[in-house]
Amino acid sequence: MAEVSLSNVKKDFGAISIIKGIDLEIKDGEFCVFVGPSGCGKSTLLRMIAGLEDITQGALRIGGRDMTKIGPSDRGVAMVFQSYALYPHMTVAENIGFGLRMTGHDKAEIAKRTTAAAKMLQLEPLLDRKPGQLSGGQRQRVAIGRAIVRNPEVFLFDEPLSNLDASLRVQMRGEISRLHQDLGATMIYVTHDQVEAMTMADKIVVLSAGRIEQVGSPLELYHRPKNLFVAGFIGSPKMNFIPVEARPHNGGIEVTLPGGTLLQLAGTLAAAGKMTLGLRPEHATATGAGDAVLPTKVQLAEHLGSETLFFVSLADGSEIAVKADGLAPQRPGGAMQIGFPARACHLFDAAGNAVLNGDLTR
Amino acid sequence: MPTNSQPAGFWKRNQMKIAPYVFLAPGALMFLIYVLIPIVQSIWISFQDWDGLGPKTWVGLANYVELLDDDTFYVALKNNLLWLGLYLLAIPMGLAAALFLNQNVWGIRLYKSLFFFPFVISQVVVGLMFTWFYAPDFGLFSQAIKWLTGSEVAILADERYVTYGIIAAGLWPQTAYCMILYLTGLNNLNAEQIEAARMDNARGWRLLRHVILPQLAPATFIAMVVTVIGALRSFDLVSIMTAGGPYGSSQVLSYFMYEQALSEYGYRMGYGAAIAVVLFLIMMVFITLFIVRMIAQERNR
Repeated sequence: MAEVSLSNVKKDFGAISIIKGIDLEIKDGEFCVFVGPSGCGKSTLLRMIAGLEDITQGALRIGGRDMTKIGPSDRGVAMVFQSYALYPHMTVAENIGFGLRMTGHDKAEIAKRTTAAAKMLQLEPLLDRKPGQLSGGQRQRVAIGRAIVRNPEVFLFDEPLSNLDASLRVQMRGEISRLHQDLGATMIYVTHDQVEAMTMADKIVVLSAGRIEQVGSPLELYHRPKNLFVAGFIGSPKMNFIPVEARPHNGGIEVTLPGGTLLQLAGTLAAAGKMTLGLRPEHATATGAGDAVLPTKVQLAEHLGSETLFFVSLADGSEIAVKADGLAPQRPGGAMQIGFPARACHLFDAAGNAVLNGDLTR
Repeated sequence: MPTNSQPAGFWKRNQMKIAPYVFLAPGALMFLIYVLIPIVQSIWISFQDWDGLGPKTWVGLANYVELLDDDTFYVALKNNLLWLGLYLLAIPMGLAAALFLNQNVWGIRLYKSLFFFPFVISQVVVGLMFTWFYAPDFGLFSQAIKWLTGSEVAILADERYVTYGIIAAGLWPQTAYCMILYLTGLNNLNAEQIEAARMDNARGWRLLRHVILPQLAPATFIAMVVTVIGALRSFDLVSIMTAGGPYGSSQVLSYFMYEQALSEYGYRMGYGAAIAVVLFLIMMVFITLFIVRMIAQERNR
């Protein structure tokens, strides 16, 4: 059993506080992704779990044991680094077996486990090569092999795919997911790419400036973002944010959209005020169907074939994105009626916290 | 409209081929005048009997035959080998100093500068300092020996210890040099590789041996080259500290050559040149090894 639990974990570099108190439970066998913009502390947090950075304050438990002060090689964790960090003077086999050699396993055992790991990752024909003679994807696999061979209870990945090209990244994403299913080990994965987070994770932890913004399953974060940060970070293209006036009205909420159009939302609101309406590009309609219709002007159209992404300007000049069918006839410069379905709208108060999450299943 | 049908000038057509040689020419010319021609001249002179001013007399291999019968030559050769062996200690010592200094504590820059200091000061000054250090009566080392053993030892006057004493003086600046080479290498270590090794349970000596030293291989190679060459051409310390004495027991080939060719012992240019040729051949063995290795590395890239 290797659940990972952090309680009030903090990290300071001198006077600068990088991690400002993290409480997190990761269940055994879970695939947990730390995601956030660069500088949010996600890599530091991973390195603290690995034991490569000291924990300034708080406690880390892995599999129920307190690991706060334990050295990196004794935590039962293995890490895959962003640069792969392979030893250039060793062959693939030596790279994979190095950890076992350092922990005093005998040669036969090392050879057996190295071959098994190589087989799992289709590295068998490459065992005698040096890292310099491998492609990026192969190096990545060797780095993973080096982690697998130690039979760790927890795998740590630090942006492992960021040095690969786009198509290889998609392929490796699948391989890591498959590996997770086969091994059933706990995996913690750091990325700044929300697509990786959405596609691979059981649980996503969104971090910003050393704090957790929200923890949840990919779809939970997508449909029920707790605040503007998470709403803007998860989803591509980004959620549209529209400044509105909102007030309680007839047991519901009434908002005034730019240009004066009114939209009725279900839900309750304590007080009236300036708020932010959130609407994902795929939920706005280019056909004009919806509970409020806004006249807009098309600024730019990105034709992706299966769909077209329109960037349109509202009456107040602000721009929003609308995902439409690939055959939508509108052209830049032309007019477009944009429909807002009330059920899909999110509402955030002045502090950025969600007052209302749109729910299309409701 | 001008056409390109006219044949372009010779320079235009061959510019890309000629340009590298044009850039190589000044260096090649200097190398020819100051290195290659003097080597040939030395070999030529080594077959002559010549006092440096008067007429040369061709004596064939006579200088070499005489050299093979000269006891001083064998003393110098033996001392040069001793230099070579012991001078290499500068490499592990330099590595140890570099590892020790490669940390982030307050004032480490000052400390590094102090360690580097012996390399900056002149070999003449190093020689003088160690001469005083070893001097009987007032030298620190002699005093220490006296305090420890009760009897005095005059290192530079004792033919058993004199070469070791000079080599020890030479190791001081050479260690500093190797340390600098290793410090630069340590700066360029791949931090993630070391972290990966830490996760792989490699610590202390094993981390050094399996992960850090292989990454420092280029620094080790350069340190080898400069130390071997430095040991073979050792001259200044011998000249300053003992002038080859006592009774020629601290001779090395380069000082022996100087003594025969250019000092008050006589102006035997031909004999000196023969010694120089022998020293050159010994150096060529090492230089060839280094060059072969360098070419092999270039190919592997």
